Amino acid sequence: MSRRLSPIDRVGRVVLGALAAFSLLLLVAPSIIVVAISFEPRGFISFPPSGFSLRWYEHVFANRQLTDSVVVSLWVSLATAAIALVLGVPAAFASVRGTFAGRSAANAFLLSPQMMPGMVIGIASLFFGAYFAFRASNTMLILALSVFCLPFVIRIAMARLAGLDPRLDEASANLGAGKLETFARVTLPQMGPALVAAAAFTFIEAFDNVTVALFTSDVRGRPLPVELYYLVQYDSSPAIAAISALEIGLSFAIMLVIARTVGLERLGR
Amino acid sequence: MALEAAARPRAPATLLRRILHGNGIWPAVPALLYLFVFLALPMLTLLAFGFVTIDRGRVVGDTWTLDHLKAALSDELVWRLMWRSFWVAAVSSLLTLILAYPVAYLFAETKGIWRTLILVAVISPLLTSALVRAYAWLVILGGRRGILNQTLLSLGIVDQPLRILNTDWAVLIGMTQIHLPFMILPLLAVLAERDRRLEEASLNLGASQTGTFFRVVVPMSVPAIFAGLALVFAISYTNFIVPQLLGGGSYSTLAVQVYEQTIVVLDWTRGAVLATILLTTCFAFVMGIVAFGNRLARWNEATT
Amino acid sequence: MTHIALDAIVKNFGAVRVLDGCSVAVDKGTVMTLLGPSGCGKTTLLRTLAGFVEPDAGRVRVGDRDITDLPPNRRQVGYVFQSYALFPHLDVAANVAYGLRVRRVGRAETQERVRKALDLVSLSAFADRYPARLSGGQQQRVAIARAMVLEPEVLLLDEPFNALDAKLRLSMQIELRKLIERVGITSIFVTHDQQEAMTLSDRVAVMRAGRIEQVGTPIEIYDRPRTAYVAAFIGRANVLAVDVAAGRVVADPAIAAARPDGPAWLVARPENLTLEPGGEGAGWRGTVAFSTPQGATIEYEVATGAPEPLRVVTLRKVGEPPLPVGTPVRVRAVDPAACVVLEDGPDGA
Repeated sequence: MSRRLSPIDRVGRVVLGALAAFSLLLLVAPSIIVVAISFEPRGFISFPPSGFSLRWYEHVFANRQLTDSVVVSLWVSLATAAIALVLGVPAAFASVRGTFAGRSAANAFLLSPQMMPGMVIGIASLFFGAYFAFRASNTMLILALSVFCLPFVIRIAMARLAGLDPRLDEASANLGAGKLETFARVTLPQMGPALVAAAAFTFIEAFDNVTVALFTSDVRGRPLPVELYYLVQYDSSPAIAAISALEIGLSFAIMLVIARTVGLERLGR
Repeated sequence: MALEAAARPRAPATLLRRILHGNGIWPAVPALLYLFVFLALPMLTLLAFGFVTIDRGRVVGDTWTLDHLKAALSDELVWRLMWRSFWVAAVSSLLTLILAYPVAYLFAETKGIWRTLILVAVISPLLTSALVRAYAWLVILGGRRGILNQTLLSLGIVDQPLRILNTDWAVLIGMTQIHLPFMILPLLAVLAERDRRLEEASLNLGASQTGTFFRVVVPMSVPAIFAGLALVFAISYTNFIVPQLLGGGSYSTLAVQVYEQTIVVLDWTRGAVLATILLTTCFAFVMGIVAFGNRLARWNEATT
Repeated sequence: MTHIALDAIVKNFGAVRVLDGCSVAVDKGTVMTLLGPSGCGKTTLLRTLAGFVEPDAGRVRVGDRDITDLPPNRRQVGYVFQSYALFPHLDVAANVAYGLRVRRVGRAETQERVRKALDLVSLSAFADRYPARLSGGQQQRVAIARAMVLEPEVLLLDEPFNALDAKLRLSMQIELRKLIERVGITSIFVTHDQQEAMTLSDRVAVMRAGRIEQVGTPIEIYDRPRTAYVAAFIGRANVLAVDVAAGRVVADPAIAAARPDGPAWLVARPENLTLEPGGEGAGWRGTVAFSTPQGATIEYEVATGAPEPLRVVTLRKVGEPPLPVGTPVRVRAVDPAACVVLEDGPDGA
């Protein structure tokens, strides 16, 4: 392809390549720096780190408040993913296979949370709860987060369902299976990987979310993102880098799950 | 059996069957109810709270009032913050576009392991907490001890540490980097699956590669460009974490104000009014972006 | 004895009437083909029989049971889908076993019946393959085994050869016909391919716009089409506007016609026409407008002044070139008795 390129095409290629390289560096460098400085043996940040030590990881694991918040976040994220999955998969089924009046309006409403900034969903939940004299709590957080995450599940499930051949359901009915049995034997097994990906994605979104959590989470038993938010504001010790490095590790694990189930490219759609 | 079936009136049988049929709205009903209770009603409450007076989480007085909205709209500070929110979001959306397009294009041109690596580079930040990435910029840009200044000083490029943290620059850099994947993903899908015969046609008709890029590739991706711009604008406009952390304690935007009024000052009425203004203006700007995109891509309209 | 009876089936999709009072009866142990162009309602009729489509009016009977109101999963109706609809997440054996599992048949019996069904279609060696790794012909046989293992009362096949390439098609058609004869199951095929209909069926039902146009054996349909539409759809036909007087078509030489006097339509197959050069003597006069040597035969288009040219197929002798374009010719029917005289012309004219 490099044969007979005009000078302007040469310049165009160089500019394009340089911009792409710069922006790829921009994407990964901050994470790499954070991981690197988490191994800092001294009490303040330097890059490259002055040595290698795991003392800040030990520090993090010894911090009761932090480990408690991780446990809170785990439960909140699991509950959120479960609710989003239980509500989202049947909804996606109706959206794709349904033939009822007002289907497009129902679809728009089901996907509408993705139009809302997390902050607005958080404040709205806080106010709605307050109106009935409920205070912010991790239950409220789970409710708000599951609303926030529902569209992710619905979109992934819809994409998979739309790719399934509806004649397979007819074939199953013809061979004697009822609606529920067809769903369990034919539809679910084929959706399985997509559902794992949807659950993983919802889990990490809920686990990382700070904009909804700041408004709705419990004052005691704060989830990790809220804990981290206050830490970052007032402190910049390498301990935060250690927590961040752990979160980056978690996001890689989730990415691996998505890559193995639906493929990373699907996330773009 | 035959007689039974023939004698049975058809109407009730089909109604019952329709409910069990799976082609109805029924599977979506739980999710719709859930969203009604936990999204629609809370949103109504949020709107309503801007038009009543609230004291310590309780509605006081029993009349609707426009006073709070009027007060907010006649407050010069609100307009200044909205302007800053707007231009920061607008500039960072354009920056993400300029940085995202080459990556998406490169992705479409590469194969094998490089393709996977680009995908990992784009998606891993997406799955990493925005807080973690804001913290990374805090460390990189921060003061004399910041990694950027350490590097620049030790290389002798500057002799005074640059003051980036707690300025508009830091907010712009942070937002652009954090929102970059949201711009790359829609472009990536469209550019990777584009019809390359059109480019061959363009080359065959005498255009240069650069000319083909700007006359064929870019115009064909206009719908994806504007989808990305609208998304990145909306999340930048309503982001309050990045301005707070990278802009410093005295840096504020409309979104930061909403947070502070609601959580720090506990003036919920003002919080609700500002949140409503934030949401409304955000929708208006996004609609503007979408409408402009549609004008540029009229060829993309459905034929019906 | 009638085994399957579709009785005055009506089905509307929105404002479109897809089935307009269709009635078909199929005798026990015979093969019926629903033949028609795409959009004529043949697949909808088959889907009505399987229960995927609920008719707006009419009854469906299999044996002495009315199954109109039974849901699809309660009907003993085997169905082979167009492009087969094999479950991609199940291997061949599990695909075939599916219906048995759903019916909670015991493990040992399931294995035995799956083995027999796969034997029947000679696919025993492929039991643990996934459908994606089978050829089109193998997939078709899995689909047939999957339906047959349940020992259904009837077998329905929706364009089963569409997904196969042309070479494989004919041999698979013959294989399938033999298989059906061996099992002796009442079957209905849907196809738009008249050659397929001829090869496979005892009787053919030609469909047009949601109605049955004619039912008969393949030979009856070909030899004695009841309408110009059927004549043109099965094989090729010249349809000529003629006049009938005193029980004969006014032509030279005259052709017997059991029709009242007045205008009528004459259907003549191209291979039942022959031509001779020269403008004198009996027959339709015209000139050669186009000729295509086809190896064993020559096809002529003869311009006669009528809107459509006459199509004539003649046997070709070795070394004989076709008549040049412009040659004056006379066209006659080889066997006047094989011509059909109809009251209605093409498109109901």
